[in-house]
Amino acid sequence: MPYEHIKEVKDQARITPIEIFPDPKTAIVILDQHSGKPLSPLVAVGDSVAVGQKIADSKERISSPVHSPISGQVVNIGNIYNHCLETFTNAIFIETDCKRTKDKSLTPICEAELEKTKPADLLNIIHEAGIIGLGGAGFPTHIKLSPPAEFPIKNLVVNATEGEPYDTADERLLVEKTENILRGVNVIKRILGNPAVTIATKVSKVEAIPKLQEVFGNEPDIKIVAGHFKYQQGDASVLQKALFGYEPSPEKRSYESGCIVQNVATINAIADAVFAGEPLISRVVAFNGEIAQPKNLLVKIGTPISDIFSQNNIDMNDVRQVVVGGVMMGHAIPTTEAPITKRSSSIIPFSENNCKKEQKQTVCIHCSKCISACPVKLHPILIYNAIMAANMEKAEKLWNKDCIGCGTCTYVCPSRLPLASTIMASRY
Amino acid sequence: MTNQSSVEKPKDLVVSQPPQITGTMSKTRIMNYTFVALMIITIVTAAMWWQVTTPTQSQMESFATAEITGFYAMPLGAILLINALIAVGVAVLSDFIIGKAAVDSEINTMSAAVFGLIVTLCYSLGLPGMARSVEVMPLQALSAPMCFIYVAIISFFGLVFFKKLQGGLLGRKYLNPAAAAKFIVLLPFLFSVFLTKEHWAAYNTTDASLGGLGMPQLASAIDKNMFGMYLQGCYSHPGSANPASLESVMLLTKFHGWPGGASSILVIIVGAVLIFLLRDYFKWKVTASYFGSVAVMSVIMTGIYGGDPMTRLLFELFIGSSIFLGFFMATDPATTPYTKTGQIIFGIGLGVLTVIIQTYMNFFGGALLALLIMNFTVPLLDRIGIHKPFGR
Repeated sequence: MPYEHIKEVKDQARITPIEIFPDPKTAIVILDQHSGKPLSPLVAVGDSVAVGQKIADSKERISSPVHSPISGQVVNIGNIYNHCLETFTNAIFIETDCKRTKDKSLTPICEAELEKTKPADLLNIIHEAGIIGLGGAGFPTHIKLSPPAEFPIKNLVVNATEGEPYDTADERLLVEKTENILRGVNVIKRILGNPAVTIATKVSKVEAIPKLQEVFGNEPDIKIVAGHFKYQQGDASVLQKALFGYEPSPEKRSYESGCIVQNVATINAIADAVFAGEPLISRVVAFNGEIAQPKNLLVKIGTPISDIFSQNNIDMNDVRQVVVGGVMMGHAIPTTEAPITKRSSSIIPFSENNCKKEQKQTVCIHCSKCISACPVKLHPILIYNAIMAANMEKAEKLWNKDCIGCGTCTYVCPSRLPLASTIMASRY
Repeated sequence: MTNQSSVEKPKDLVVSQPPQITGTMSKTRIMNYTFVALMIITIVTAAMWWQVTTPTQSQMESFATAEITGFYAMPLGAILLINALIAVGVAVLSDFIIGKAAVDSEINTMSAAVFGLIVTLCYSLGLPGMARSVEVMPLQALSAPMCFIYVAIISFFGLVFFKKLQGGLLGRKYLNPAAAAKFIVLLPFLFSVFLTKEHWAAYNTTDASLGGLGMPQLASAIDKNMFGMYLQGCYSHPGSANPASLESVMLLTKFHGWPGGASSILVIIVGAVLIFLLRDYFKWKVTASYFGSVAVMSVIMTGIYGGDPMTRLLFELFIGSSIFLGFFMATDPATTPYTKTGQIIFGIGLGVLTVIIQTYMNFFGGALLALLIMNFTVPLLDRIGIHKPFGR
């Protein structure tokens, strides 16, 4: 099935090396950045915190703690816009003391010890480091990497396709942190019992492919697949079809097909946690869009997005829209006071002329393009019609819950109907 | 609360649902492409038809005894262009007035213009070459100035009732607006003229003194020479002494019938380019399955009634109504099914019905009626072919 081509805008960003962004004066760490159970703060206003200190956690299994990205004092615990949940949620505000005192509660292991370390201990480090799926889903990684014993994992897929048309953070990691990614892959192999590894990337990532071949080429059981993957094939199940030919059932858990797909940035974070003892307190964010100089920034989680604009001397009068997390699946945020979270893979500003305006709803012309374009073979317009007629029973019969939210249907719709967002909203 | 660098924001940021970018194809763009495609057909046909005067001088003389008032001997190409201007003008103007008057209606100029061109291109023009001193009445509609009035009525009627009211009242369009309007407007005409006994008597004889056109029976063995001569007489240049060959008439140039199908080759080329440009936005599955089933049905009809298979095939596939409707009317997105299977069944049904209507009703241009019948099946066909999603 041909997938809809979506034009990429990354020529400049993909060749720009990662730049370390200065620490924020005030870090705003949102508690609920993962998908799972909510966290409660472990610190109170007035407490001093160190870099990497765990500041919020939950006793529930499906959760992931957050850590302080800077050292300083907790000045407030209050609400801030959380782009992951599209609403205002609780966050811890920390003011820097410029000392960068480090918290050492996470004990790293050295590479030689990896084969002797128990998978459970590795999983514990991943949990304690607060690692979640950095591709955008935000599911706690330690849960994903602990499938039940009756489902042996035969394949590990390193998802380096990064199809979002403006995102380049993963691509830069592939180029600059290749060895670290290999270390991360070895950790996951140890946890999952040596599955075969497939690194899936795109032929368009010309700088990354030779680097991958150089570092991974001599490893046994590691295959590099550089394909002409389309945006939609960045989805874990659609990618499995491209690589192995089968279609994983949406009803089953991902591990039931014997395959686990991990994002490059997540694997990089795992290596940092296990071998350097660094919890997830920073990530690479692509700063692309309508700006003179696109960049890839290593930003502390909790940095207000407005800092990124002011440090890059961008006049906010020219910016009318700020999209976080990719133009296809990410949301446009209402305020730049919102901080960077673990799931902020990119910051994409648009000017008045190019921002997506509220479009007048027109009627469907029955072209049925959304049906042929859907990568998971749904009938978006029929589901949309059912939802609009408040017939949820019919929407469910048309498998509305199988929607992966890739946004292709809305993208191709000549009547500009909000198909994807309506279907995604109906899933809950 | 925080001492972060607060940037002054004169306007609020625009919040919108993902995806934040949209594809390049829009309703207007689809309509623009279709309009240009239909314009090319109109202009090329007009140029091709400029050499023909209708009625021809000899036809005018043969009508001398009949009431010939109203016949204007002018280039057929000019009649077509005037028709196009009238149809597009009436459609766009009506659309504008309705758009201004009704609150919930949007002005959709390009869509109205495309509709006007389709009305023009599916309105039969030109007197068949062998038409001599037959009753003038049915032939008047094929020429100026009567055709101007009919086209204006069809365009107005179709836009108001079948394009605007149908969508507004029923929630969706069921009938193809151009086909429905043409059919309804010409229905009384059809009953009073084409279906009367006298008409059949006259048309079914080859005796010229009775005014017979020698209309052949399709529900019988097709004689290559007889039927071929009939088609050549009907469609070739009315002024020329030696009619063009059957293949040339059916494939290259017809001087009578639907202007949209005057040149089958032209329609196929323009249609193919449009399909290439619009790809999945064009319901080419309907076109493909329609022509496929017409071909199969005409072979079956030859199997039943005998005769020359090639002549029947040429007729069923390349008659103006068939070739134009298959590409530009049957693929109207609003009145065709959503699902792939539905579109293929729709096309097959349309092809089968077309051949049956043309064979047993001797209603040349039966595709139009077949399309209207098939339009009613669309809500049912939308329920067929709902494929299972990924991984289920």
